Amino acid sequence: MTAYLARRALGALWALIGVAVVVFLILHLTGDPAAVMMPPESTRAEIDAFRHAQGFDRPLIVQFGSFAASAARGDLGLSLRHQEPAMGLTLQRLPATIELAGSAFIIVVLIGVPAGVLSALRPRTWIDYTARVIALIGQSAPTYWIGLMLILLFAVRLGWTPASGIGDWRNLVLPAATLGFFSTAKIMRLTRGAMLEIMGADFMRTARAKGLTAARVSLGHGLRNALLPVVTQLGVELGTLLSGAIITETVFAWPGVGRLAVQAVFERDFPVVESVVLIAAAIFVLLNLAVDLLYAVLDPRIRYA
Amino acid sequence: MKRVIVLFLGAALALSSSGPLRAADTTVTISQGVDADTLNPLSKTVTPTNNVVQHVYERLADFGNRSGEFVPLLAVSWKRINPTTEEYKLRHGVTFSNGDPFTSADVKYSVEWIKDKSHASEQTPFVRDIDRVETPDPYTVRFISKVPTAIPPGLQQPIFIVDAKYFQEKGLAYVAEHPVGTGPYVLREWKRDDQLTFDANPKWWGGHPKIDHVVFKPIPEAGARVAALRTGATDLITNVPPQYYIQIVGGRNTKLVSTRSLRQLFIAFNTLQPGPQQNKLVRQAINYAVDVPAIVKNVLGGRGYELTSPIPPNYFGYDASVPGYKHDLAKAKALLAKAGYPDGKGISLVVNAPIGRYNRDREVAEAVTGQLQTVGITATVKPQEWVSYSSMVGHRALSPLYELGWNQPSADADGVVTALFTSSGPLSCYANPEVDKLADQARGELDVAKRKALYKQIATILHEDAPWIVLFEYEDLYATSKRLHFQPRGDEAIRAYEMSLT
Repeated sequence: MTAYLARRALGALWALIGVAVVVFLILHLTGDPAAVMMPPESTRAEIDAFRHAQGFDRPLIVQFGSFAASAARGDLGLSLRHQEPAMGLTLQRLPATIELAGSAFIIVVLIGVPAGVLSALRPRTWIDYTARVIALIGQSAPTYWIGLMLILLFAVRLGWTPASGIGDWRNLVLPAATLGFFSTAKIMRLTRGAMLEIMGADFMRTARAKGLTAARVSLGHGLRNALLPVVTQLGVELGTLLSGAIITETVFAWPGVGRLAVQAVFERDFPVVESVVLIAAAIFVLLNLAVDLLYAVLDPRIRYA
Repeated sequence: MKRVIVLFLGAALALSSSGPLRAADTTVTISQGVDADTLNPLSKTVTPTNNVVQHVYERLADFGNRSGEFVPLLAVSWKRINPTTEEYKLRHGVTFSNGDPFTSADVKYSVEWIKDKSHASEQTPFVRDIDRVETPDPYTVRFISKVPTAIPPGLQQPIFIVDAKYFQEKGLAYVAEHPVGTGPYVLREWKRDDQLTFDANPKWWGGHPKIDHVVFKPIPEAGARVAALRTGATDLITNVPPQYYIQIVGGRNTKLVSTRSLRQLFIAFNTLQPGPQQNKLVRQAINYAVDVPAIVKNVLGGRGYELTSPIPPNYFGYDASVPGYKHDLAKAKALLAKAGYPDGKGISLVVNAPIGRYNRDREVAEAVTGQLQTVGITATVKPQEWVSYSSMVGHRALSPLYELGWNQPSADADGVVTALFTSSGPLSCYANPEVDKLADQARGELDVAKRKALYKQIATILHEDAPWIVLFEYEDLYATSKRLHFQPRGDEAIRAYEMSLT
């Protein structure tokens, strides 16, 4: 087990280095932001002086060298926009994103999985149809539109929740529902499909023949086996939610990583984009590992050595 | 008995904490699209950041409501003591909110901070004309320029003044989040991208502002900004898209307020690159072919003001007697034929335009290309994302036509002419030795009437030479709650200390 974890950690490190290099190159190949940061009346000399002070006039390979050297010490440099350490700015926004993503994930698990199971246990009934229609809407309607509609209905018309911003649980309801909607729909459809497949399996007939209750059969035997693909997908979904719910955070003025990332990309704030991407990559790597370890719990036949 | 005393004490405490002599605290919440980048007032030039920091920091003087007019702030008066030296007398008895006295050393430090190349300040163009700063005594400061300039050095774009001692002691990372200024408000709390709260500064030399607390609550999405206004979560929103006007005007607690902006939108010809746009007759023909009032009406919903010259009426240097181009297809066709392009045959143009940088930027460019087709010119729009676009503008690489917006907070023709029409101008794709000479002369001319006459000459040449398709100035729109009194300004500044509530 220890050897396995060490191997995975080494793999993760390589993945992060690869991500850092690719992001650095892509960002710098798009040109530097000196011209757009300086006010429009700046002369060429003023822009060049600014470029020099920021180090953008050095050859790309030299810029990469100094980036790599400080990145190895965990320092991704100062944000061009805020002139503060980029990693600090990103980590500052992480709690808000975790709060939002965590709440959305709870919605996904508590609604997506049970709805999928119910739908599979009662195929072609009104439960199934309702769940499938909602899933269809969730997967096809743009998050942006759903967010605005929820704001119009619940904040402007009914006045039940604030329209935007972070605060107490009431501020959380709409963005979490908006963010969770798409993933809930996906997980519901996946669970339904997996369950339907399992329900027809031989061992399910055996379980029923043993005289087990319907609940034990479908949940104890059916769901447990259907969960493997669902758990894999849940891991991916959580990673997506955590790595910055860009649209949801923008629509609801949620002060998280996603919003920071959008602004950083628009303004070519290289160090901030680097840190957001690296943190997102690290989250994915960790979640993948967690999912793999969870397999062993769900399916005792899987063992890591 | 004990309970009675406790109750009594409690009541007394409650009364004293709410201040029985003053009316209830007033709070105004302002929602721009983005949060302040930093609270260091010497590094950035973007409007949303400026709007926040000006509540804490002050300038020597501020632009008044008309061009050439200044409101004294930290300076009480100023005069030219020789052609290259402007002397400012500073306000006595002003302290920074930490108690430090405000003196001429702080002014000198602020200018030099920006000039220091290692700080990579975006404000370097603002202090470009200031060669050095002298401080003969704590309440006198002299700005010395290399050559005489009509607008006093230091007032082209007045900078914010910081506490030199505090800046040096605390370091940049700290001052970026903990502002200490002389202005009407002090920072209570800043939760990035969430909200920033100011309280009235009890030590402000200007007295007590009408609004006790100001909250900046950035909301990036326009629809969500409107929703926040309608639910009363905010009092003032910027950048209101046209599709929400009816909702806001019809709202129970909301209204629209607007003002004529100092920002104009134009389409420039790149006369430095080969092509039909190098032919003056073609440029004139295109100006006749474009129907600006129709664009203002149909693309901007009437929220704009047609211009006849690159020097707009609300700028110093405007002269109403300089003619503009009125929409005239017959003249356009005649000029095209004279230029050797009968019926526009042989002219195929690309109009470069940014996406989403200015209100309706791409749509305006599309309307212009549509109108050019009425005289037979084939024209297409090439829209581009702003960061790469602005860098190409700086390299004069956009050709044959490119769209750009310009806002000169000083409302003086100097900024427009120098930056956009002189051959060394950073955004100019036009070179005319005569304009260069006149622009230089106007820049240094201390006599107002003579200077005005020089700009008239320049405007006349620009009309004849037509290096731009002159378009319009915007009308800036804000939406506010009905209880708020807010008079918007052409330079996009939002100041809570000039607002009041009913």
